[in-house]
Amino acid sequence: MASIELDRVSKLYGNGNYGVHEVDLTIPDGEFVIFLGPSGCGKSTTLRMIAGLESISSGDLRIGGKSVANVAPRDRNVAVVFQSYALYPHMSVRQNMAFGLKMRGTDAAVIDAKIADAANLLGLQNLLGRKPAALSGGQRQRVALGRAIVREPAAFLLDEPLSNLDAQLRAEMRLELVKLHRRLGRTIVHVTHDQVEAMTMGDRICIMRDGRLVQAGRPLEVYADPVNTFVARFLATPPMNLIPATLQPAPGEGLSVVTDSGAVLTVPARHRNAYGERVGRRVILGVRAEDFHERADKPDWQKIAVRVVAVEALGAENVLIGQIAGQATGKDHAHPAGDDKPLEIAARLSRYFTAPVGSIVELYIDPLPMHLFDPETELGIARPSLMGATR
Amino acid sequence: MMDRNERPAFRRRFGLHFGLIVVCAIVLLPPLWVLRTSFVPEQLSYSNELMPAFTTDNYSALLSGRFGQSYLNSLIVALGSVLLALPFAATTGYAFARFRTGGRWARFAVLATQMLPPVALVLPTFTLFRSLELSNSLTGLIIVYAALNLPFLTWILMGFFEGIPVDLEWAAMTDGATAWGAFWRIVLPVSMPGIAAAGVLGFILAWNEFLFALVLSGPKTATIPVALAALQTSNGVQIAKVSAGVVLAILPLVVASRFIQRFIVQGLTFGSVK
Repeated sequence: MASIELDRVSKLYGNGNYGVHEVDLTIPDGEFVIFLGPSGCGKSTTLRMIAGLESISSGDLRIGGKSVANVAPRDRNVAVVFQSYALYPHMSVRQNMAFGLKMRGTDAAVIDAKIADAANLLGLQNLLGRKPAALSGGQRQRVALGRAIVREPAAFLLDEPLSNLDAQLRAEMRLELVKLHRRLGRTIVHVTHDQVEAMTMGDRICIMRDGRLVQAGRPLEVYADPVNTFVARFLATPPMNLIPATLQPAPGEGLSVVTDSGAVLTVPARHRNAYGERVGRRVILGVRAEDFHERADKPDWQKIAVRVVAVEALGAENVLIGQIAGQATGKDHAHPAGDDKPLEIAARLSRYFTAPVGSIVELYIDPLPMHLFDPETELGIARPSLMGATR
Repeated sequence: MMDRNERPAFRRRFGLHFGLIVVCAIVLLPPLWVLRTSFVPEQLSYSNELMPAFTTDNYSALLSGRFGQSYLNSLIVALGSVLLALPFAATTGYAFARFRTGGRWARFAVLATQMLPPVALVLPTFTLFRSLELSNSLTGLIIVYAALNLPFLTWILMGFFEGIPVDLEWAAMTDGATAWGAFWRIVLPVSMPGIAAAGVLGFILAWNEFLFALVLSGPKTATIPVALAALQTSNGVQIAKVSAGVVLAILPLVVASRFIQRFIVQGLTFGSVK
């Protein structure tokens, strides 16, 4: 049993800053958890605290139900794969993999057998005699994994292990890690700033910002129902479009969102109750890039005019960067840093879409997945989730 | 066509090499002249001729006297002091590099001991060592040189340890090593080039040291610098013998500097991290 429980765990530095602030999280045995966040958000620090490489300033940490706050890293039975791989440069691949077992006094024959198994699993059979310097990046990465696997730890802690690989190798290793998790069934905590890794690999994503755990949940849940504008933007490329607007009553029982540029979007009936109490107040409208369309496939999709700033052809799709037409220049509410350039939106369109720069095109927004955020707190205004709902 | 393109390149290369040869000659001429003088008979040593006569008498005269003993003394003292200082320097340097041992203040305090002029230390040391019966002994010199080298070696090694990615130690510690185990099994082997380079530098310092050797050694415990100084007799300086002595004294340093070059040029932790 190797559940990991973080009980209001904090890391306070000497200068009074919190590296990690009261993180509460329970990771059940065998779960693949992703810690996602920008640089400096505290995700690696949290991982190192789980490993015992950083002390905990307050709170408690339990592995397998036992408090390990004062337990040395070597006695926690966790294995860490570092971003740098941290292979011992003076040892061969075999010695690197044997090191942890030797430290634990494992029998030489058992060590050999385990190394052979792990080498088979990772395709390292022909590299066992080599020094790390004679390996490619991908090979080093596999050796680092192998070194963790042979120890059969209760949990694997992976600190951005894929970030030094090229794009193709990264995609391969993503899949390998998922397969490995299925085969070994061990708890894995994987730290990354790559949202593709986060979406595709884990059972659960924990998004961190400024040392705090902002949201934890299944990848698609978090994607569909971000708790605030940070999560909304962070978990997608291009990020969710955040458009300053006002919520206004519409004829009948209806509600509409009027953007600062004057575009009007009718709120779908199923969101009316949730958003009703905000009538007349400022909101931030959140629309994902894929919810813009070139044609209205459904009657409730709503037309919006967009001035083309650029069209980025990605091969499989074209991303239109544009301004909602007629919009006045103003502070971009989505970017608190606030440069004075007009708010630009990104729309994922088909690869056949073209339009000259500067022209105005009509796009259609699917309003159902829309989000409204409070401009003061940046928190999402709660509405019924669409997860599992039929359209 | 090719010729026209190659000619300026050739001229530039020729110019560069000519310049380098001149600079090398200026730098190398004094030691080469010392080498030449060491093979010239004493009476002809001040001659302006390039090689008025050839002899190895200077060497044989030198080695039949006490110089051989001094050579051995220097080797023992330099090696002994380095071997004594390195373990302390390595552990202290590591502590400074990885832990908040004593803070920044302690780091500079260690270095501050190097800032006293040796002359200020030599008399107190002599008084102290005489009462401890360590004067006129190689042990005394070993202790003094180890003490003099310690701050310097500590700082050099601190720099090397700071350059080793802490991930390596973390990996070792999660792999089951204690903090000491991570230092002993991972950090030390990985920083061997640095430790060797520091050792060679310490060796050179001890090998060349004159002041303490002069005050603390006797006829039987004299080191090379003292023995060379002794060749200035009332009959004048025996320049050919001094030259031979200098050539012999330089030999280990030439070997050592080759080592240092190799170790410093070689990447410290190549292959361990990206």
